[in-house]
Amino acid sequence: MKVDLVIAGVGGQGNLFASEVISRYALGRGYNVLGTETIGAAQRGGSVVSHIRISEGPIYSPLVPSGQADLLLGLEPVEMLRHSGRLSPQGRYLLNMYKIPTVMSNMGLDHYPTEGEIERALASLGVSGCIIPATQRAYEIGNAVLANVVMLGALCAVSSFFDRQAMRETLATTAPRKVLELNLTAFDEGFALACRNLQPSS
Amino acid sequence: MVTEKRFMMGNEAIARGAAESGVKVVAGYPGTPASEIVTSHLDFPGIHVEWSANEKVALEIALGASLTGVRALAVMKHNGTNAATDFLMHLNYTGVRGGLVLVSADDPGGNSSQNEEDTRIPTHLYAHLPVLDPFSPAEAKQMMQAAYELSEQTELCYVLRPVARVCHARATIELGEVPKAGRQPEFVDDRSRFIMSAVVEKTAGGQMRPVVRHHWLNEKGQQLLALAEESPFNWVEEGEGKTGLIGCGIGYAYVKEAEQMLDRQFPVLKLGTLPLPRRKLVEFARRMECLVVYEETEPVVERMIKEILFEEGVQVQVLGRSSFLPGEGELSPAVVLDSLSKLDPNLSTADQRLPPLAIPLPLRTRTQCVGCAYRGLLHVLQGVVRKTKGIVAGDIGCHDMGSFPPLELQSTIYCMGSSIPMATGLAYSGLGRPVFAIMGDSTFFHNGMLGLINAVYQGVKMVVIICDNATTAMTGFQPHPGSPLNLRGERVQPISVEKVVRALQEGASVQTVDPYQIGEVKEALEKAVAEPGVSVIIAAAPCYLLSRREEVTPFERRPVRVDEEKCTGCLVCVNDFGCPALQVQDGVVTIDQITCVQCGVCVEVCSGGAIS
Repeated sequence: MKVDLVIAGVGGQGNLFASEVISRYALGRGYNVLGTETIGAAQRGGSVVSHIRISEGPIYSPLVPSGQADLLLGLEPVEMLRHSGRLSPQGRYLLNMYKIPTVMSNMGLDHYPTEGEIERALASLGVSGCIIPATQRAYEIGNAVLANVVMLGALCAVSSFFDRQAMRETLATTAPRKVLELNLTAFDEGFALACRNLQPSS
Repeated sequence: MVTEKRFMMGNEAIARGAAESGVKVVAGYPGTPASEIVTSHLDFPGIHVEWSANEKVALEIALGASLTGVRALAVMKHNGTNAATDFLMHLNYTGVRGGLVLVSADDPGGNSSQNEEDTRIPTHLYAHLPVLDPFSPAEAKQMMQAAYELSEQTELCYVLRPVARVCHARATIELGEVPKAGRQPEFVDDRSRFIMSAVVEKTAGGQMRPVVRHHWLNEKGQQLLALAEESPFNWVEEGEGKTGLIGCGIGYAYVKEAEQMLDRQFPVLKLGTLPLPRRKLVEFARRMECLVVYEETEPVVERMIKEILFEEGVQVQVLGRSSFLPGEGELSPAVVLDSLSKLDPNLSTADQRLPPLAIPLPLRTRTQCVGCAYRGLLHVLQGVVRKTKGIVAGDIGCHDMGSFPPLELQSTIYCMGSSIPMATGLAYSGLGRPVFAIMGDSTFFHNGMLGLINAVYQGVKMVVIICDNATTAMTGFQPHPGSPLNLRGERVQPISVEKVVRALQEGASVQTVDPYQIGEVKEALEKAVAEPGVSVIIAAAPCYLLSRREEVTPFERRPVRVDEEKCTGCLVCVNDFGCPALQVQDGVVTIDQITCVQCGVCVEVCSGGAIS
């Protein structure tokens, strides 16, 4: 039994908090967990990627090997696509459709793909997954920063490894107390969104 | 007794190892991937923890403490170890008293650094100090504990060289006791050791002291060889075939990962020490036809193995990063798998991968945070530099992102403090163009002020901009000598950049500006360019991200929007300012209200008055 996850996003999207909740959830169920992330200079609007490896047996590499990820979470579409090579052909993705243009796409020096192009690129990979407007929904319920928590709720609909109730409890003990209610609302919203948008496994 | 276990970062595990060893003094300078090693010590009362002005200062502090018999730790990233190397090349000759460990964290792949150098070279090949290279957070903690014992046993400074993937890995770590009472310090003079100088040593037949101490260090080499042989960090695993895989540090983790993926066991030699366990290596090599060495990042162990096997007359092919494996970049399970399938095409996992992506993806470069004080400063500076055909020498820090698109302002970035001396050289060259240097406050205190002192004394004509946000923002808001709170959270009197600069010379040209007020910045820059000598501008405003944590902002919030009627589509706000909240859709600029923090600087940037 093993679950390898990769979370790709942009600095400031709460990638590390999402990894923490996932890791604590798996540890709480008695699994071994090994993870890593790119942090530091990448925080300033650059790419941030977390790797989380969950297994019953020993885990050696903190990096998820290419083609081995069971789940790929994209907090941002281009960053998720950039790391699609990590995904296993049997894996699934969960994408927050909230585009963060790059400096050079704004300047017209690079093309940022349209939603249609993103969806077609994902379809050409031949893996199943789910697209939700996590940032938009987080903004509507009070704070766009909670997109990561919306994604955690959605993750429970996408992967049977994550039990909704147990994950919610892990979130409740990880989130700062003064924003706990908002976190739980974001989580529930994410679960509901993903249930609606989930594509059947091919 | 139930062992307590905790899920933690590699850097916390390293700190825990030092704390459980009874470390008393911890000093370092921030830098990814090493920073959390220092801050994690704050959990333990009784340990003196500080961010020092630079890495050389930190290592000197650590040895000063060690000479009294207490245990000490110096922490830095690889570039910082370069700054400390002068001192390192003397402490290797004198040795230590209380256990002393230098943690020099490397960043293979350069994910957060200006280079991807391998500090096993300065610390082991150059300074001849013993190095431990962990493959996991758990091993890093064990190595820290062993290093303190061995440092006292050998009287040498031990080096722990974790790579970023070990520093930033998160794993479950077994905890031990942290001793409550530290050792009592005691200072005993030994001038024949601790006075490093060109003096004749009477007791050594009139030899020069540096030769005597060099001999002492060479003798230690023999003791280290014996220790490597019995070290628990080196071992052999039996497996199929005559190709032996040598995993050094994190290289071992990737070898084991490849074994799991291929469901196969190779003969493996796991190495974690420098010097190498010579006998263990030779015995392993004699049974093999080929050895592949996986190490980060230079072929250090590979070349040492070739030398040893040549001396021992063992004929084995040795492959590694000198030619067979990539000579640069980070190792990964994929690098190991690719190399194995190169040796045996049956060992391939290529069929398990997804097809390559059908569309090209835009690159994402780092940029100033939304709300950063320096974006407006860099924008104005760009305007002045363009108009005067100036050249800007850059430095390390948040402002360095001005060198990327859209601004492409700085023409050089090297290492901490290089900007002012490089600008000085540009001025001396006779080029006849105005020169500018831009550096941050933490870099100023690190060693940047030396370049400024030189430039002021020599009377160089240049403009120096010091970005002063009272913190080391780039690496995660660590305090420096200009910060009002130190690492331990104590209120201290910060050293004022302005006062230091004013003290350099009577009538020094110094202006302090608020970088959010771009009109004020422009005026100051235009005045500075006209000055005959060094003219310093201090752009002082708190870091927005740090202020936000404390729920204050360094500016008055001001909701902004673009008036489509007034927007001429000139795109100055995008191409010459580049706030990520300003987005272009079909040639029209809009402000993404989710991203915008309402600093209002863009209002001044738009000369057409379309943003209000």
